[in-house]
Amino acid sequence: MSRPGFSPEGVTLGACLVALGVLWTLANLGRLELLPVVRTWWPLSFVLWGVLELADLWVRRSSGRS
Amino acid sequence: MSSQPLDPHYTAPAAPPPALPPAAAPFVRLPKSPGLAAFLSLFPGLGQVYNGRIARAFVFFFAWVGSIYLTASGHEFPFAFVIPFVYLFNIIDAWKGATAINARYLGGRTEPEDDVEVESPVWGGSLALLGVLILFNNLGWLDLDRLARWWPLLLIAVGAYFVYASVQKKKAGEGADEPPRL
Repeated sequence: MSRPGFSPEGVTLGACLVALGVLWTLANLGRLELLPVVRTWWPLSFVLWGVLELADLWVRRSSGRS
Repeated sequence: MSSQPLDPHYTAPAAPPPALPPAAAPFVRLPKSPGLAAFLSLFPGLGQVYNGRIARAFVFFFAWVGSIYLTASGHEFPFAFVIPFVYLFNIIDAWKGATAINARYLGGRTEPEDDVEVESPVWGGSLALLGVLILFNNLGWLDLDRLARWWPLLLIAVGAYFVYASVQKKKAGEGADEPPRL
């Protein structure tokens, strides 16, 4: 049986890897300093994960109701 | 001398069929070895990779590395306590994950904890709130060090949540027809 909703961990991980890749590329191009940016903004991954958990819960509740 | 029957039409009674060997239980090769998963988890995250749970593997790995980093950078409390917690939980999680995969493969029930989806907004809300607090601290909009003395309130909140959850579970169990688990 397929699980309604999505995997918040998987989406968060993918988004974080994409963001890290973008930042690292920009750092390699000399546009920014990677470590200070990551050290400041890493909690956004928690925010994203939490919001996606809430969204997943909402999606599963909606599909259960319909 | 062999004894020949006198009657030429005599036929010896058919011998009973040889007894079949006792049926052996069919050998089932389980997809995952819980022991191997636990062993691989001595390096945090590797057991979860073996179980095919890549996102979990990253979470455990970064929680482990992050808590070591924060401890080494002067935040011994509480992150020094988080290191062994993450490490042991990672091993137990790998063991349980492999066991659940095997149970699912055999068509049986998995452990209840593995099937339970998070049905409360508390987990997601807490994660998002924690992220916002740390982010504000990093941006200088909030000083978490000033809140440090209030950290035991977290213990109270977590304890209260466990009490609430177990009361809810007991109420749900009383409503169900299934016999209580021993």
